[in-house]
Amino acid sequence: MENRMMFQDREEFLSALRNLAREGVPQERIRVETPYYVHEVDEILPTSPAKVKNFSLLGAASGTVFGFAFTILTSLSWPLIVGGKPIVSIPPFIIIAFALTILFGALSTFFGFLILARLPSVFGVVPKEEFGNAFVITVEPGETK
Amino acid sequence: MDKPDKLARVEQDVLSAMKRPGLAYLAALGCTAALFLGLLGFWGYQMKTGMGVSGLMHPVGWGVYITNFVFWVGIAHSGTLISAVLYLFRARFRTSFNRPAEAMTVFALLVAGLFPLIHLGRTWKFYYLFPYPTQRMLWVNFRSPLIWDVFAVSTYLTVSVVFFYVGLIPDFAIVRRYKEGLAKRIYGFLSLGWTGTRRQWKNYNQLYLFLAAFATPLVASVHSVVSWDFAMSIIPGWHTTIFAPYFVAGAIFSGTAMVITLVVPMRKILVLDRYITDDHFESIAKILLFTSLIVTYSYIVEFGLAFYSGNPFEMEEFRYRALGDYTVMFWIMIFCNSLAPLTLFVRSLRRNVKYLFVLSLLVNVGMWVERFVIIVSSLARDFDPYAWGTYTPSIVEVGITLGSFGLFFTAYLLFLKTLPVLSITEIKEHL
Repeated sequence: MENRMMFQDREEFLSALRNLAREGVPQERIRVETPYYVHEVDEILPTSPAKVKNFSLLGAASGTVFGFAFTILTSLSWPLIVGGKPIVSIPPFIIIAFALTILFGALSTFFGFLILARLPSVFGVVPKEEFGNAFVITVEPGETK
Repeated sequence: MDKPDKLARVEQDVLSAMKRPGLAYLAALGCTAALFLGLLGFWGYQMKTGMGVSGLMHPVGWGVYITNFVFWVGIAHSGTLISAVLYLFRARFRTSFNRPAEAMTVFALLVAGLFPLIHLGRTWKFYYLFPYPTQRMLWVNFRSPLIWDVFAVSTYLTVSVVFFYVGLIPDFAIVRRYKEGLAKRIYGFLSLGWTGTRRQWKNYNQLYLFLAAFATPLVASVHSVVSWDFAMSIIPGWHTTIFAPYFVAGAIFSGTAMVITLVVPMRKILVLDRYITDDHFESIAKILLFTSLIVTYSYIVEFGLAFYSGNPFEMEEFRYRALGDYTVMFWIMIFCNSLAPLTLFVRSLRRNVKYLFVLSLLVNVGMWVERFVIIVSSLARDFDPYAWGTYTPSIVEVGITLGSFGLFFTAYLLFLKTLPVLSITEIKEHL
């Protein structure tokens, strides 16, 4: 049977969480729900940093590569001189590549977040119980270290 | 008041805006929607009859439609500045403004996006703008500033929508709690099933930070690209290296004024004085003053560059701008954008919300006029005196311009009744 503790006060919640960590309750058994981001939680229950940034880097890099490849290859596919400019005109292509870097980076960050945060959650659309502004700690049954 | 009560109070205060609308609201919505319907009517008439119904004629081929495009893209900028740049700088007063400012960005970009389509005349050919090959496998010309615009503005719109939506996710979960039946399901769906677990918050925090980081360069880049629509040509008054920073400063200036225009009545009507204080308005007034000074400096530099260029066409263009056919518009621009904002050096005026509201209206007018003056006066008088001419907008263009304001304010009014007007989660975090 899981053990649930609800707090209206942030400090009480943090102190209860510290106690659990001190007692050696494994992190995997502790579920925490808060009305807003409480950074101390990550200090009390240290985990590896969020990996959303990897998606950002991947998205942004692929946007840059795609932006340059798209403009250069399509220009070379029909080499038509316009206004006396070189077929492969890097300065204007930088603008396209820059826009696509931001676009791909932002979209990939968002989708990366959805994957890592396991959203959308079908069960969460209309959750069975909602805790409002309470800070909730749920300890699942199991062994203490 | 205890902290838990304060948290609940924030929710109730902000969500009370979403109550059943009153008569005044419906009347305002009716007026703005009527203006928008006027836009659709005039636009339909223009499509049916042809571009001759506009005042556009040789040599002025870019008039009020392009003025509106530049103006609305500019309005969008300060939304991103407030939501993304101030977030990265950890300026706490942004919490009071970021949601309306982000909404403003999205709506302004939607309105801006209409104008290239309206200006096309044959709107049904709009897809020619997209990068795809013709039947003969010839792709668009990526060296053209108009294509840069397509990429810059569509990227900006997409990123702004994502940023706006991401900020709303935890707030949708709060609204869900207050709703019943179908509305609960809709807000639950929009919240993506957010419950506020540790995993969600940890990843959300990094998502928000990185989106802000991605959106920040857009503040500088998008209006730079818009300015290059002009600066890449050789028209006197346009072909200058100062255009990009000049346009970006103007964009932030006009957008900040529009934020004040929107938030002052919103605070009054929705009784949000507790969350949007005079201190917050003072901070935003400082941004207005600062950007006004940059814009004024740009005006001076622009004249200086023309004067020192030794180029008779440039010198004549700037003489014409200040003293020619559009002299009234020019001096309205100087008064509204350079002189009137100087009063914000006085602290009591920065804290006087009614004064700020009036000033923001002046700046809105001034910045629209600035776009008009830059675009029209340069085209009206380029190199060849045989090609000179003047331009006056037609009733169709005036109707479509008013309708664009109608669309913008309709969208904003609908936002007030359907989405949380302030970022509840962030306000709670800072309590």
